[in-house]
Amino acid sequence: MRWKWGALWTAVVAILAVAFVHAGAQAPSKLIRLTFYYPVGVAGPLAKVIGEMTDKFNKDNPGIEVVPVYSGDYDPTLQKVQTSVMAGNPPDIFIVEISELPTLLAMNAITPLDDYVKKAEGGKYWADFFAAFRENSTLRGKIWWIPFQRSTPVFYWNKELFKKAGLDPERAPQTWAELREMAKKLTIREGNEVKQWGVTVSGGWNDWLFEAFVRQNGSWLINPEGTKVNFDSKEAVEALEFWVDLMHKEKVGPPHSTWGSTPPDFVAQRTAMLYHSTGILTFLRNSAKFDFGVAFMPKSKTFGAEVGGGNLAIARKIPKERQDAAWKFIEWMTSSDNAAQWSMASGYVATRTSAYTVPAFKEFLAKDARYLVARDQLQYASGKMMAPNFQKIREILKKQLDDAVDGRVAPKEAMVTVQKQVEAVIKR
Amino acid sequence: MHRRWSHLATHLIVALCALITVTPYLWLLSTSLKYKTEVFTPTPQWIPWPINLGNYAEVFDRAPFGLFLINTLIVVTGILVVQLVTVTLAAYVFARRQFRGANILFLLFLVQMMIPIHATFLPNFLTLRSLDLLNTRVAMMLPFLASGYGTFLLRQAFKQVPRDLEDAAVIDGCAGLRFLWHVLIPLAKPTLVAFSLISLVTHWNDYLWPLIVTDTPDVRTLTIGLGMFVQQESGADWTLLMAATAFVTAPLLVIFLVFQRKFIESFMFSGLKG
Repeated sequence: MRWKWGALWTAVVAILAVAFVHAGAQAPSKLIRLTFYYPVGVAGPLAKVIGEMTDKFNKDNPGIEVVPVYSGDYDPTLQKVQTSVMAGNPPDIFIVEISELPTLLAMNAITPLDDYVKKAEGGKYWADFFAAFRENSTLRGKIWWIPFQRSTPVFYWNKELFKKAGLDPERAPQTWAELREMAKKLTIREGNEVKQWGVTVSGGWNDWLFEAFVRQNGSWLINPEGTKVNFDSKEAVEALEFWVDLMHKEKVGPPHSTWGSTPPDFVAQRTAMLYHSTGILTFLRNSAKFDFGVAFMPKSKTFGAEVGGGNLAIARKIPKERQDAAWKFIEWMTSSDNAAQWSMASGYVATRTSAYTVPAFKEFLAKDARYLVARDQLQYASGKMMAPNFQKIREILKKQLDDAVDGRVAPKEAMVTVQKQVEAVIKR
Repeated sequence: MHRRWSHLATHLIVALCALITVTPYLWLLSTSLKYKTEVFTPTPQWIPWPINLGNYAEVFDRAPFGLFLINTLIVVTGILVVQLVTVTLAAYVFARRQFRGANILFLLFLVQMMIPIHATFLPNFLTLRSLDLLNTRVAMMLPFLASGYGTFLLRQAFKQVPRDLEDAAVIDGCAGLRFLWHVLIPLAKPTLVAFSLISLVTHWNDYLWPLIVTDTPDVRTLTIGLGMFVQQESGADWTLLMAATAFVTAPLLVIFLVFQRKFIESFMFSGLKG
């Protein structure tokens, strides 16, 4: 039986040896090697696109080598960044979801970019970004990171189902009231079962969509500094009342859904209208067998939206020469040409005004004007709410939203609860 | 007659369970062979037509899944082999030896099971960094080489072996590690098999830890490749996600099918007789 132990140990040693070989395989060199953590937020071969972009940058910039590291969704990316920063081993460049700025600042994780931004492109760089996209970059009077993969929610409608319901297929609802009437006409029931929903306000990131509704109703939820909260305003309560009307009273929209399941629902014609990110447009185009339109989200007092997505940041605790090299990369990644390129490859909104004058992009947009809706809606958009411990705030808000559309709690009561709980989180 | 009916009923229930288990997998296979426009039809289409094998090609084009598979196999078997050694020895000591502080030490093992894995990430990361082991396959194995759960499971199994048997073995000159090897381990085979399966599946599915400690595709595992097809902002690319999932889960299924009889045997022919 002795040989069995021997075999076992040999196997252990062999496996460890194989694994160890890689540990020592990193050769030192003179060039500056930068680590770049990036999440993939929308469908498409984006990991490959990022790889191709960094390859191009590396080729054009001898002396710098950017190593792209795929780091999961936004949440795992943040965890990976946080772990590395706390361990004193930060990635030089990284993309994190925009609401996490206060969290990053609290960790002293990122370096302000004002000096770089001022000098870039002869001083014209920063003003060229859409104002709504710039908002989540500034805090305490400094610019902390650069808009990169950015989205905003828009409104989708199925033209065929509009026709069937006797509605003008070319006209999306303009107001909340109109939306409600159309949703009633578009909902098809068989007995107690809903065959087709009128409108789906996607779950999962419904906190994000809710902020848009509050904007449309002329108010806000958290101030840009993240110090004041305004969840129990009359406007916010009204917005939630509107949701409760749609999903609980009129029953023209599903009270529960996930962010990933509603685009397929729209494609399968189980819902006639959909609130979702502009990021799914390419997916819908590739998957839907019917004609559909993209529009501004209907207004209440005004059109309104907020932005989402991720920004590019540079780590704080790395040497100046590495930060300089990292900035070179960020400036390159966010040039007009590359912003246009990235938008075409990903479906994200191009972050800069001048990107829309890039010939290849113009040609692309000429083929499908629906890609322009998100950009045009930006004039009514504002920054996404942010605060330290944002994940916690999201959970608080989402729970009350879910309970309210289920009819378990009155809208007013729900928003008062959110206000109280979020205040406690922010004070801490 | 009565027996026959109950036999039939058993079969029906088992068949139903099998159907419930197999259905998602069939749907997965079906979706992985569809074109994007065929996935979300108002009535579900079970048979993909036209068949699209391109999804599998595209999955492999997007990430080096072959390499990911090799890495996963190395990590998973590495963890399991070392675990079997550490767990067996630890369980033996806890079950069969008396020493001072044994209870407290065992309690600590149990406490280890209750600590959420995320809480251990940072200290483990720091340890790996100081050992210069970040971005290696070892980094993915090291925190799991000992297992409180496995120790607990096996200790219980060892404890069930009667004292008399050990006394008899000792009289026959089979004491200590020999007793462990010749008597305890064979008797605890079902537990060992069960633990191996659990360990295999758990670490096959590990996602966050491998994602955090690795950076380059040459050491990364299947789940990370799979993660690329789940997108937070836009929802998933379902045909590709299903093709990737089929590839990621297939090896586990094959392993189970191949060793199925062995697994079941080990449960059937165990225990002390007479």
